[in-house]
Parts: sequence; C-alpha cells; structure tokens
Amino acid sequence: MSKIKIDTILLSIFQRAFKSITDEMSISLMKTTRSPILCEAKDFVTGLYDASGNMLEQTENLPILSFSLGPVCKVILKQYENEIYPGDVIIHNDVFSMGNQNNDVAIFKPIFVEEKLMGWSAAKGHQADIGGAVQGGYNPNATEVWQEALRIPAIKIYEKGILRKDVWNLIFANIRLSMVPEDIKAQIGACSLGERRLINFINKYGIDSFEAHKKELFNSTERMMRAEITSVPNGIYEGSSKVYYDGKHLGSVFEIKSRITVNDEDIIFDFSKSSPQTNGFVNGTYTSSCSAITLTFLQMVNPNIPHNEGMIKPLTYIVPEGIILNASYPKATTFGNHLCPQIADSIFKALGPAMPHRVTAGWNHLLCSLFTGNHPLKGEKYVDICFMGLKGGSGALQGDDGYDHIGMIDASGGLLDQDYEMYEQQTPHRIIKHEYIKDSGGAGTWRGGLGVETILKIGSDDTTMVVFGDGDVEENYGLFGGKGSILNSIELLFPDGKTLKPLSKDLIENIPANTIYRQIAGGGGGFGLPQNRNIDSIADDLRNEIVSKEKAMSDYKIAFSQNTNSIELIKTAELRAASLENK
Amino acid sequence: MQESVIKYKLGIDVGGTFTDFFLVGNDASSLVHKTLSTPEDSSIGFITGINEIAEKLNMPPETFIEKIDTIVHGTTVATNAMLTMKGAKTALLTTKGFRDALEMRRGVREERYNNHYLNVKPLVPRYLRFCVDERIDAQGNSLQSIDFAELDEIIHKIQSENVEAVAICLMNSYLNNEHEKQIAHYFREALPNLFICASFEVLPSIRFYERVSTTCINAYIGVVIDRYLQSLVSKLNNINFNGKLMIMQSNGGIVTPEVARKIAAVTVLSGPAAAPIAGAYYAQMLGFEHCITMDMGGTSFDASLVVNGKCITSTEGEIDRHRIALPTLDIITIGAGGGSIGWIDKGGLLKMGPQSAGSLPGPISYMRGGTQPACTDADLILGYLDANFFAGGKYLLNKEKTLDITENRLGKTLNLTAQQAAAGMYRVINMNMAQGVRQVSVERGYDPREFLLICAGGAGAIHAGEICRELEIPMFMVPAVASIFCAAGMLLGDLKHDYVRSYLSNYSNINRKQFLKLFDDMKKEAEKTLSDEGIEKSKIEYYPSLDLRYIGQFHEVPMEVEMEQILGFKLDDIKEAFHKEHNRKYGYELKAEGTQLEMINVRLRAVGVTEKPDSLSSSKSTNTNLLQSAFKGMREAYVPEVDEMQLLPVYDGDILGEGILIKGPAIIEQINTTIFLSSTYHCETITGGSFIVYNKMLMPEGYNKKSLTRKTSNNV
Repeated sequence: MSKIKIDTILLSIFQRAFKSITDEMSISLMKTTRSPILCEAKDFVTGLYDASGNMLEQTENLPILSFSLGPVCKVILKQYENEIYPGDVIIHNDVFSMGNQNNDVAIFKPIFVEEKLMGWSAAKGHQADIGGAVQGGYNPNATEVWQEALRIPAIKIYEKGILRKDVWNLIFANIRLSMVPEDIKAQIGACSLGERRLINFINKYGIDSFEAHKKELFNSTERMMRAEITSVPNGIYEGSSKVYYDGKHLGSVFEIKSRITVNDEDIIFDFSKSSPQTNGFVNGTYTSSCSAITLTFLQMVNPNIPHNEGMIKPLTYIVPEGIILNASYPKATTFGNHLCPQIADSIFKALGPAMPHRVTAGWNHLLCSLFTGNHPLKGEKYVDICFMGLKGGSGALQGDDGYDHIGMIDASGGLLDQDYEMYEQQTPHRIIKHEYIKDSGGAGTWRGGLGVETILKIGSDDTTMVVFGDGDVEENYGLFGGKGSILNSIELLFPDGKTLKPLSKDLIENIPANTIYRQIAGGGGGFGLPQNRNIDSIADDLRNEIVSKEKAMSDYKIAFSQNTNSIELIKTAELRAASLENK
Repeated sequence: MQESVIKYKLGIDVGGTFTDFFLVGNDASSLVHKTLSTPEDSSIGFITGINEIAEKLNMPPETFIEKIDTIVHGTTVATNAMLTMKGAKTALLTTKGFRDALEMRRGVREERYNNHYLNVKPLVPRYLRFCVDERIDAQGNSLQSIDFAELDEIIHKIQSENVEAVAICLMNSYLNNEHEKQIAHYFREALPNLFICASFEVLPSIRFYERVSTTCINAYIGVVIDRYLQSLVSKLNNINFNGKLMIMQSNGGIVTPEVARKIAAVTVLSGPAAAPIAGAYYAQMLGFEHCITMDMGGTSFDASLVVNGKCITSTEGEIDRHRIALPTLDIITIGAGGGSIGWIDKGGLLKMGPQSAGSLPGPISYMRGGTQPACTDADLILGYLDANFFAGGKYLLNKEKTLDITENRLGKTLNLTAQQAAAGMYRVINMNMAQGVRQVSVERGYDPREFLLICAGGAGAIHAGEICRELEIPMFMVPAVASIFCAAGMLLGDLKHDYVRSYLSNYSNINRKQFLKLFDDMKKEAEKTLSDEGIEKSKIEYYPSLDLRYIGQFHEVPMEVEMEQILGFKLDDIKEAFHKEHNRKYGYELKAEGTQLEMINVRLRAVGVTEKPDSLSSSKSTNTNLLQSAFKGMREAYVPEVDEMQLLPVYDGDILGEGILIKGPAIIEQINTTIFLSSTYHCETITGGSFIVYNKMLMPEGYNKKSLTRKTSNNV
C-alpha cells in the first residue's frame, strides 16, 4: 500500500460523510417502519463499522442502544470468520452475546468493495414484540431469558443475497405481531442504503485513502478524548445509588456502586462492588451497562467529539458477570436498559465534588407503561409504549436550569413523544391531558427541569398494561443545596369507581374501556441553594404558572406585598440573608 | 424599439444594510442599483431606490413608474423578526389539556450530550397560551362544543395583556375545522384589530405539533408582514404604480401580497430564497450541474446548494429551532457581513459578529455615527476598498477616522497597529464564512472542492479567495450581478401555488371518477388564482404528485408523476415507479411479496411561468479588450499570503471585455463589486461581464471546467 498523505480537509469530509450516511439511514428507518415505537418515538440507532467492527460513526437517537452495536459486530466477525459474503444479512438480539436488550433487534450488513470486506452497516430498533411470555417483551414475572423473549444469536437471514426462508419463518413463527417482520425489512433497507452510500464513497476516494484517513480519524478523536480526561483531576472517586424492587420481592433494594479511577489520560469505571444479580428481570447486560457509563461520561466532556472507535478507546469498564449490572446466563434482563439512570446517578455523585461544573443534579427516573390490545375501529392488534407519559425533567447544573420534559438520561431527549393526533389514530385511546406540572422542578439556584402529567382515556376493553420503572420510592436528588423533585406515579380509575396503583414492575390485564389512566413523571433535581435564585427567573416562573406562590415563599424565600402577587424586593433580600445565616 | 413601449421588470431585495435593485427592460437593457436600507420601515428605502433609479435613467419618477410592469420583492422582515424575537406579542388558543405542546416540541433535545443546551424560548409564553374546553375526536366528531362565555374571558385577558396576534390550533382540526372556524370568527368580530389565524388556514394536515408551531410562527410574524406590506402597497399606490407587485416565498416561488399577508409564514426565508435560483441559472449557463452559492450581505452570510440543477426544498425545515412545516429552500445563514463588528472576548480573542453595525449607525467609515470597527472598515484599512470609490463614489468613506477608532478599540488591547488589527478581523471573518460554506457542503457529505462556487455580495469577492483557500476550493465565479444577486434571482421566479386534497384509499380501490375530479378541482382553482394574477392558461405548468405508502406504514412517499399519467389513470405505471422510488430512497421495496399500497393525498403544484429577462448580464458602457486600458493606478493593499501591505495594480472591471487574463495579486474594481486577487489567484473575464477566479497552483493550465467536475460526476 502506497503511503497516503493525510489531507486535513478530507479528514473532516470523511467524518461528516460517515455521519450523513448514518443520518440518512436513520431518516429511512423513521419513514418506513410501522411500529410507532420506531417511526414516531425513534427508539432505534444506525451505525457504520469498519471491517474489524470498529465504529466509524453512529446516529444515536437512543444512546443506550448505541454502544452495543460495535461489540456485536465483533462477535459476528468471530463467529463467521471466512464465511461472510456480499449480500449477507445477519440478525441478532441475544443479550448473552453482547446484545443490550432482547427487544432491541440488530441487523448487520457486510460492505464489500473490490471483493474485499470494507465495513458494516447496522441498524438496531426496539421491536414491538419479540416472543416470550408477554406481548411487547416486558415480563415482570420472568426469571429466565426464555420467559422474556426469543433468543436470536447471530444468524444469517440472507446469504449471498438470497433470503433464507427457513430461518425467516422460524424466527417470525415465534413473534406475535405481523408488523415486526415488516419493520425488520425496513432495517434491512436502511442497512442497504448505508451499504450503497459507503461503497460509493470508498470508490470515490479509493481504498487506501479510506483506510489511512479512517485510522487518522480514530487517532485524532482518541487524542481529543484523552485531552478531556486529562482535565479531570487525578484520583479515585466513589458514588452509589439505589434500585428499588425487582418485580418479585416487595421492598427489595439493590445498590449500584461506582469506583472511578482517573490517571492522567486514562479513566477506569469499576462497578464490581454493586449488588449481586436479582432473581427477577431487573438485571443489566454487559453492553447496556457499558452504554450507560459511556453516555453519562459523554455528558461531562466536550459534546463536539466525533463518535467513533477513538472516542471509546480511552475508557475502561469493569462490570463483572454475576452482578446486577451484568447478569449471568440465563437470567432475565429486560429491565437492564432502565438501570441507566442509577448508573448515571452513581457516576455524577462520584465525580461531583471533583467537577462541580460538569455534573447535573438527579434526572427523573423512568416509570413507564406499555399498552397492548385491539384497536376496535381498525380490527388490529397494537403495541404502544406511552412515551409522552414517561418523560420527566433533567437535573439542573451550574449555570443552567434542567431541561423540562426531556425524559430519562438513557435517551437524553432523543426519544420523542408521539404526535398527539398520530397517537389517537394509532391507538384507541384518547388524550385528555399532557402538560407540565407546577412545582415539579426541584428548587435551586438553577431549577430542575419540569415533569409532566398525562391523562388518557382507555378506548377498548381487554387492554393489557405492563408497568416498568422506578422513581416512585426515593426522591431524585438536588446538588449543592438544591432540592429534589416529586415522585413518579401511575394510577388507574376504573369505570366502576375503583382505583388501582400499580407497582413499579407490574402486569395488569383486562382493563375495561373508559378507564382513566393518570401518570405523573417527576422533574429533575435543583442545583445550588434556592434562595440564591435570580428573582427575575422566579417572577417568570410565577407568571407562567410553573412555580406556585407558596413554593416561592417556602423554598425561594420570596416576600410578596400583602395579598398580591408582586414581589417585595427589600423584604425578600432580608428573608434570604436571614435564611443563609441560619445555614 | 420605441421608448414608449419599453417595459421594465424590477427585482428588489431588502437586506439588513442595503436594499438592492435589478432592473431589466424588454429592450435587453439592465441596471444595478443599491441604496441604504431603512430598518425602521424598509418601504422607505424601497421607494427612495425607485426614485434614484428614475434619476439615473433621466426620467421623471412618474414616467418611470408607469413603465414598470412587475416588481418582485424579497424581504428579510419576517426572518429578522424571527431571529431577533421581535415578532408580535402573540397568544395561542388550544384544546384543554394541550397547553404546552408548543414549548415541549415533543420533548426533543437536539444535542444529546450537552447539558447546557437549553430549550428554545417559545414564540408564545405559557401565560399567553389559553385552553378552550372543546374536543374533536380522532374520527372528526365533535365531543364537546365551544362555550362562548369561556371565549369572552379569554378575550378579556388578551385585551388586558395588549396582545397583537392570536393563533388558534385545536386537536384533530385537520378532520373537522368547525370549532376553529367558530373561534376564528368570534375572535375576528371581538378583536377586529388583531391578526388572527387558525391552523386550518395555514397547514390543514395531520400532526398537531407541526401545525401548532407553524400556526404560531404565522401569527408571530403575521402582524409584522401585514403592517409592512400594507405600508408598502399604499406607498406604491401613492406614486401611481399600476403594475404587479409579487413577493418572494421561502419555497423559491412568488405570490401576491394578498396571499403573503394571510399566510405570512411563507415569507420566512423570502430574502435569501432567490440566491439558489440565480445560482442554478449561472451553473446551467456555464455547464455545471451543481453549485454552491455564497452571498455576503451587510448583516448576514447565506450559503446554499444546487444539486443536479435543482434547489433543495424540504417540508422538514425549522427556523431558529422553531418547526415550520411549509415547503422551504435549504439555506444556511450565519451572522457575518460587511457590518459585522470586531470585538474582543473575555479570553482576549478577537471575534467578528454576529452583531452588525447594519446601515445605521453603520461601519465607522460611513460617518453615520458608527463607533465600532466593522468588516467594511477593515476592508478599507487593508486597501481593498477605495475611500473615494465606494459604490462608485456614491458614499465617501473616512479612512483617517476609521484607522483612529480601530486602533483605539481593538489595536491597543491586542497590542497591534490598526492595520494589523484589520488584518486580524479579515482573517477571523473569513474563517467564519468558510464555516458557513462547510456547513452547507461538507456537513451534508459533499466535497465543496467539486462544486462551482458562485460568489455574491458587493464585498463577497474581497473575501471569497481566502474562504476558498481555507477549503481548498480551486475556483470561484463572480457573476456580473454579484452585488445584487438575489434581486436578479427574483426576476427568475415563477408563481407557485401548491394544492392538496386528502383521498385516503387502498390503492387498488381508487375510484377513477373521484380521483380525476379531485385533480380537476385543483386545476380549476389554480387556473382561477393564476388568471387573477395575470397568467394565461398557456403559461401554466402542472406538477401533480401522490402521497403513497405501503399499507401499514406511517409516513408517505411523495411521488412526482406526469399529468398524462393522471389523466390517463395509469395507476399501474405509478405503482411500478413507487416501488423503484421506495428502493432508491430507503434501500428496499416490497414488490415481490405483493404488498398493497395506500394513497393519502393528491397534490398539484401549479406554476405560472413568468416572462424572464433574456440574460442577467449587466449592460456595459465601454468594452475594452486591452487590460492596460482598464488600469486605474496602483494602491497599497494587504496580501494575506505574505502578511504585508504591497503596492497592487487596480483595474476598472466595468469596462473589461471578454477573455482577458488578470494576474494576481491585483484589485478589480467595479461600481458595486470589488474583486481582490491575492497572489494565489488569476482571473479571467467571461461572457456577460462575469469573472472566473482560479487558484494558479491548483489549476496551472488555467481555468478548466473539467478539473472541477471529474469527481462530481459519479457521486452526487
């Protein structure tokens, strides 16, 4: 291979071109899929990898899914070795070979130029059903993987461009909904699109130039990441957070413990002191936990670092098998993605004292419902995760309020609410309310993001609801004197007047039409003492009815002129000074 | 041709600093004019310019006005109102329970890993978002009707808050707009002085967030546009203008002021929308399929892309992160221009913009009260501009004062002379603009080095060489109409009207009669509208399309089809084409398994083809084929390659004929455009008064189209 001179302009073109390919794949998936979980909420990722499975670029609508694609690509390479051909399509979801969650099904397509394997395109999406005991995949009663899902270790569904009907039929004979194979076809389509684009791109610049610039891209990104790590003071930092209820044992509590070692330009995340695995489905997988660590750390560094192999190379993960973050075969793990908030908490809490300007107060933890049933007007089954209901606020940080209604940190604003009108077409339910909740943002110098209230009217009999999540026991935390926010909750009001408060992991069947579903997603924690909050910001919050007068007085130490809503500045200053002295 | 039958078309582009004019006569004459903008009421500068042109033509204004049959006008009024958050104080009425949809934006945070990234400030604050207890269900039935007593309370609050505009957007109104109609009617009666718009009038289609956001944008800028166009029309009436006034839309088409006043949201990108149209014209003229246009104005720098001769339009646009779901051209705008102010940040670094001195007070050198050094000041200090020949001598620039203030405000802090500080300003703003070009090309996966770069704006060609050097772009073109590029592009705009009808049907069950009737209806409506706008039937072109998808999919594929296929009901042909298009766009098709299609909407775009000027060249007084005859003298100017001032030849670009080679370093001056050739470049004049500037190291054989298109052909 002739020595290729690195062209710095070309280097940034490569990076942007990879990004625009994965973006185009992402748009393609959104436009062609049928399950609203994919086409409305964008619960999927797309990516490009090189011939060794190293990440070239990803479009991370949902970061928690993203960092398991590269590891699976490496599993596939090892499994098939010399039996990878142009036109192959490989499917995979197995959590015991680097998958992150059973429902997150990945498609990989090898990319050949001049008969040489040059890379892979991949798309992973949360499927509406994946077999197992419960439609939709979340089974709070599961103790083993087979009660949750059909296991699909890497297997070819196309070989050399020819569909393997036997394999295809076997897989989809074990999955409930007919939209799932259609959505898998859409994922294959997105991968073909990525394949076409990357082939064109490599043809244009030549294989040698591609290889040389790719390598330099990894190196320069790695240098950027190492420089970021260097900005964290050397030391060993420890933090912890709690997980409540495993779906089996009422009152059970588990601990996530982080020990982070920073040594110049290296960083080690060690979670080995965390609680042992549970006997329910509240268990992480290795890649879901590593994804959670990665995405949390990415929020503490320069957000403009390109996403490729060089970015993750300086990070070391210690997540041994047998702990709650890495369950051993054949434990149930569907809840694993949703341990991300606790992992993030334990990292933020550990690094907070060393980097107070980089951490956020607690984010709202996920509490979520998944509805399944029949759409009476369409005469079809549907599955829908109630995304609009689950999105609470993010924690505040030094200098800025938290983000209202952003949703769990695993997605960080990448997962969208269904459009209301689309939702009412797609499910039989009617939306009664979806609004911010007053006083839900944790009080602080910088206020936590607001939570939301969602009220639905169930539109058909025999509706099944799976509840999974957390955040209903422990208030998420404020930092440096900031306060926490309100708890998550879900409540059903049946037509006969009875009410039901589901557990945080629960399965409720035969819900009748006209039941009222009410969900509270809490806000984020506040940062800094509330009595130091800028008075203009409080006045705005009061006028916009997101902070109450009572809260303004009790938390923010605001004094009002008698029986009015106008703020008395001098009196407020006195009150605030006194409250700070009492500290 | 007799004087009496001369008719003119006039393109007018109001920018932040200058208002540009391009006049074309049906006798092939043309004229370029610029006047300072009047931001307090941009119609003043508009009329001033018309009078100044009459003077140039030695005509009494009233005679000149009589001879103008069409004015096409692009305005940044709406854009600026959005970007500076200076639209009307707007209230929103929406269905109870949905107060926050506008602000939530479906819960997106565009930057996943940046916790300092804040949500965008909503156009309507929460305290002005009012809920109405009403409901239309998902099948279009009314579940709860309007309570007018509740409306009275809201009206009372709106009055006490001095609201200027009201947007109305209710759940499921795309299925049944009766409630919206009732509220709009009631509000228009009760609040006759307010700008009121309902979502069904702006964007009658499914998706609540898209609709509420687009409707609020419409209300927010509606008052501003309405006020402006009203004032403009009355001023034109006062001077007895009897021709047609047309407004440039964000989609690259033009509309009458009546439509623009109602659906103001179509003017959000009215100003820069003509650039890619003019770009496509020049690219085609020179035989290129693709080009990038860059337009450096006084306040902003716009870049856009033309691929395969087409400007890129999408309905997925946003402005400043506010979603607008109307068809819009894809244009990148950054705050960099002649008025961009140089300043020093907290870390001691020299920055340029985005704040602009605008036209008032303007740069220091204008002597209109400006006290902060702007890009134009730097260009003057560096010798690119001649103090006595700015806009052909229309404005005298004060160099001494500019040097003085630049040294005091920037030089002293940075420990530099005024000239060194100016060189720094020049380099910094060039980097900023290079980033804009990078955004429109590299970030979309295109290599800018393979595109023809068309450089517009009076000062654009002073900076283009350095932008190209940064991005290694080997050549750029400076069109004859560079200084008023958008004004010229506006005369190339056609009337465009988009119609849509919903026809939800399984594709195999489409009823021929019903299908044809929908197209017939839309065609009749188009004919009526366009004939009111003065377009003959023979000048109307139709572009039908169908929104199709596979049954079970959520999103549609807009399929452009031929009118013949519609009239001949050739649905099988269209189905074939759909499979192919789905595969091209999304990587697969479901033809083999026989998956059924579904139709959602039928659409018709009607284009009223306007009369175009024969060419966009500027008329030249004298042509010379000898470079020496255009020599004006020598002037000291900054040469960036060596970082020093050198004595350079200055040529009069306005009299140079075709096919002349000018070697850099040199300055080519025209009345409205200055081209700076640094030592990297040579320049060749081409037909129609345009210039090609090329990098002599990258193109040692001279300007050569092929060297640019080599790579492009296989892969755009």
